[in-house]
Amino acid sequence: MISAPSLVARIFPKTLLIVPFVAAGLMAATPPPALAQEAAKAEAAKGLWLTTAYPEFAAQAGDTVKVDLSLANAGLPPQRVELKVDGLPEGWTWEIDGGGRAVTAAMAATDKTVDLSLNVTPPKDVKTGSFPFEVTGNADGTQLKLPLTLTMRESEPAKLSLKADLPALRGTPKSSFDFQVTAKNDGQEDSTVNLLAKAPAGFQVTFKEGYGTQELTSLPIEAGKSKNLKVSVQPPDGVEAGQYPVAIAATGGDATAELQLALDITGQPKLALSGPGGRLSGQATAGEKRSFTFTLQNSGTAPARDIGFSASPPSGWEVKFDPEKIPEIAPGQTSDVSVAMTPSDKAIAGDYVVAVRANGDGASDNASFRVTVETSTVWGVTGLGVIAAAVMVLGFGISRYGRR
Amino acid sequence: MPRQREGSPFTGLATVALKEAADHMTSARIHLVLLLIFLTAVGAVYAAIGEVTATIGEDQFLFLRLFTTARDPLPSFVAFLGFLLPLVAIALGFDAINGEHNRRTLSRVLAQPIYRDALLAGKFVGGLIVIALCLLTLWLLVTGMGILLTGLPPSGEEVLRGLAFLLASFVYAGVWLAVALVCSTLFRAPATSALAALTLWLILTLFWSMLAPLVAGALAPIDPLDPMTQVHQLELQKAFARISPNVLYGEMTLGLLNPATRSLGLVFTAQLQNALLGAPLPVSQSLMLIWPQLAGMIAALLVLFTIAYVSFQRQEIRA
Repeated sequence: MISAPSLVARIFPKTLLIVPFVAAGLMAATPPPALAQEAAKAEAAKGLWLTTAYPEFAAQAGDTVKVDLSLANAGLPPQRVELKVDGLPEGWTWEIDGGGRAVTAAMAATDKTVDLSLNVTPPKDVKTGSFPFEVTGNADGTQLKLPLTLTMRESEPAKLSLKADLPALRGTPKSSFDFQVTAKNDGQEDSTVNLLAKAPAGFQVTFKEGYGTQELTSLPIEAGKSKNLKVSVQPPDGVEAGQYPVAIAATGGDATAELQLALDITGQPKLALSGPGGRLSGQATAGEKRSFTFTLQNSGTAPARDIGFSASPPSGWEVKFDPEKIPEIAPGQTSDVSVAMTPSDKAIAGDYVVAVRANGDGASDNASFRVTVETSTVWGVTGLGVIAAAVMVLGFGISRYGRR
Repeated sequence: MPRQREGSPFTGLATVALKEAADHMTSARIHLVLLLIFLTAVGAVYAAIGEVTATIGEDQFLFLRLFTTARDPLPSFVAFLGFLLPLVAIALGFDAINGEHNRRTLSRVLAQPIYRDALLAGKFVGGLIVIALCLLTLWLLVTGMGILLTGLPPSGEEVLRGLAFLLASFVYAGVWLAVALVCSTLFRAPATSALAALTLWLILTLFWSMLAPLVAGALAPIDPLDPMTQVHQLELQKAFARISPNVLYGEMTLGLLNPATRSLGLVFTAQLQNALLGAPLPVSQSLMLIWPQLAGMIAALLVLFTIAYVSFQRQEIRA
């Protein structure tokens, strides 16, 4: 398809359309300003100048200094100007660039300005202080001079800082310690910062970006900007209760920042209940008491206190614990408890589940104990009695009716 | 006025028993009955193996399933045995004494230095030997077919349970043999004796389960306001049903061949609280469970034999 504007453009070529308007515009608008301009030009000074916007400036040691120069020609015929720099101390180097190349001369056309730039490189071991020098231009008998003063200053060191919102956290060995840390680059240059951590043995420290999930070892920070980090510390299993310091550091270039974080790990008791000999099954006879020795272990990091026992046996059963309460089990210690189970008189043979539970202060454990109930052999003896009675009947029959 | 006997009353028992067993083993009547029972048993087990391999992938007691699994239209091996074993026993025993009478051989046998005790006991033991042989053969046949067709050996526990089942079947057949023996001493005509035994068999195997609720309902009516009367009636019904050896045998096979069976009586839900249903019982506990049934059958066997003994001792045998 062909759109309407392109149709117009095809029918009337651009030149045909534009030229009359431009001509008209020129004719209508230019004459009065042109006259005024010429008058001003006549009043303005004629000549050749070498100028810069900031003739006195400061720089840091080690930097290459760039100065923008401009060569202006007002009302003179085009002038060739030889350029050089005088007055720089020994060891300093300079270069004048124009149009992207190093130049030693420039041509200033009538009423035009040539933009140049001067690069001055002080030596590495430059001292602080003021260094006056000048840029001279030699144009066909005319001497152009531009005096400049460069003040060298002590270089500002790179600077990093680390700040934690909450530098001390408390929790159990199972909890995760996440510190929100802000790393800031206070220096004047962008920097790539390496992240380091020093933690007690077994502690794992990982750095993550603000809300990200990727682990970091270093990150770039722009000058004057800051970044949020998440420092996660994972204590090892079974760590004892106590205070643990974790030092993190950020290094970038010459700058280093350190931050002390503290973990306050509180202990936690953990109970493990196991059956006799590690088994969770046993045998009992209906109506008869049977004792099983259960072992209770505190595998946690704090003492378990006030441990009581309970069981959920089938109805009609009796379950008793000896002792009924254990006042305290130190971490890593075990304690035996005797569980006496008496199945109901009416219990039928087979397997039953009795849940045994140990309940301490802040820790508990339960074990499903499988009891195989056997029925009493009393009824078996009764069966034998029935058979014996039948044998006696037979015996009586034989003795009474036995014949020769 | 009991007189002193001379010598052991069991002299000649072995002779009579072995001769009796040998007679049975060569008689056409027993051949036919045994053929019937073997064919049905093999058919039932073959069908059971097909069913087991098709439906049960893995079972701790696969071999016991061979005995109890039924596939339409055939009943299970156990059901066959429960129905047909009495028939074998009756066929073996219904003319034990009156047959000798009618052939006029009784006085000739007793003219030998043999007590009547030994003759009766010998007849009974001879029948038991045949039954034992028949059952052992059947059991080996079933186990062998199971090994052959499933490719698995039976576990030790399965063998133990199988042997206990064999013993239970033997006692069950023995009870019916004793019944036939009693009939053969009480009735002179073998036909009457056979009919009496068969009638008892039909009543106890087929109609007893229908009679039990009627009798229990009549003896212990249910009071709708007292739930214990319902329990009482059910217990009475169970007790009445257990007069039938067939019911006792059914309970024994259930306890032995289905290891998860925990009780053969009434079970209240309170007794099943926290129970692991489906967990198999140890063999000793299963044996304990069926022991009352087994003891009752052994006692019944002895009492029936005593009746036959007393009746035989008091008979006039000269004819």
